[in-house]
Amino acid sequence: MPDIWEIAAILAKLMLYIGITGSTGLVIIRTAFPKSVRPLNNRIKMQAAFLAGLALVAAVIGFMLRGAALTGGADGMTDPEMLDLLWQTPVGGALTFRLAGAALIMAGLFVPRVGHWISLAGGVLAMWSFAQIGHVPGLEQYGVRVLLLLHLLGIAFWIGILGPLRALSRGPEHLESAAHLGHQFGQAASVIVPVLILAGLLMAWLLLGDLTALATTGYGQTLLAKLVLVGVVLTLAAANKLRFVPAVQAGDAQAGRRLARSIEIETAVILVVLAATATLTSVLTLPN
Amino acid sequence: MKILTMFALMTALATGAFAHSSVDNTTPENGATIAEVPSEISFNFGNDIRLTRVEMIHQDHPSVRLDLGDQTRFDRVFTLPLQGMGEGTYRIEWRGLGMDGHAMQGEFSFTVE
Repeated sequence: MPDIWEIAAILAKLMLYIGITGSTGLVIIRTAFPKSVRPLNNRIKMQAAFLAGLALVAAVIGFMLRGAALTGGADGMTDPEMLDLLWQTPVGGALTFRLAGAALIMAGLFVPRVGHWISLAGGVLAMWSFAQIGHVPGLEQYGVRVLLLLHLLGIAFWIGILGPLRALSRGPEHLESAAHLGHQFGQAASVIVPVLILAGLLMAWLLLGDLTALATTGYGQTLLAKLVLVGVVLTLAAANKLRFVPAVQAGDAQAGRRLARSIEIETAVILVVLAATATLTSVLTLPN
Repeated sequence: MKILTMFALMTALATGAFAHSSVDNTTPENGATIAEVPSEISFNFGNDIRLTRVEMIHQDHPSVRLDLGDQTRFDRVFTLPLQGMGEGTYRIEWRGLGMDGHAMQGEFSFTVE
């Protein structure tokens, strides 16, 4: 059983994932499908600002928790010697990427015309921080870091659609926009999602090295749990694409609410997937 | 609630901890039984690390934080003076930072008879 510091580290990482992928995702969706989400522009802007703020806070807390891991107690969270030590390692570099990235996402939201490009650059910067420290850079292959970035961008795109599509499908006056957005997203996802899954599987294979580790190690078991949950998310997403979105397109009055409900369940499972990932990357050691 | 349950299950699986421990050997060795309390202990790590905390726990006394002295840089070998507390089992718990920013931790124990 992980101790209280490990649980805190997992939660901080989960908040960081939600903050970075959520805010970047909203910016991607607003950039990719501006017409469909126009009724939600202000709402998306506020949500993205909140999520970027969450990323900022989670990045700082996560950094301080690493200080606690160095002393074994809360004193390490504010111990200047420990924090300075961490700052000089790649952990300090990752924090810089995260803070700068989240700040750019926020700043871009309030800049007219080119703002979304500033926010997107911030999102990519923040995501690149995950390629600075942890298991993937430990593989010492530059290509895998790029793979991780692709994986994260794909996830952000997916997570970004959840809020706007749910909001549109709940409002009867926006059903047409919901149908259009759901259809457009489904088309893009049929390319992006396979790439994101393949990138994830490839990284898992490189990190694990040996299939038996899936059953015999804590890392492998958590990874297996994540894969099963991803399977559930894919099933729900397929149901949305093949059933609920076409029903909304056909003008079925009830279909919007069903789609919204399906998205809520999908979001809940995605949160558990993110929690599993935070556990994998925060407290579990690789089998080898 | 379902999410919380899943999360609890997930964290229950987490056993590895922060430890990326790579201590090659220690003096005294882990589990050794020796006749006299050593005046110092030493660590020999496989990679450079920066020790951040070392605590000694003797069975009859509260834990004592050992002074790192001037050994506050990344290195593989560390030797710390030890204040003896008589016979019994000594447990040494250490924490440190790897060059890659990973927190590391571990422990070893020895017995003085």
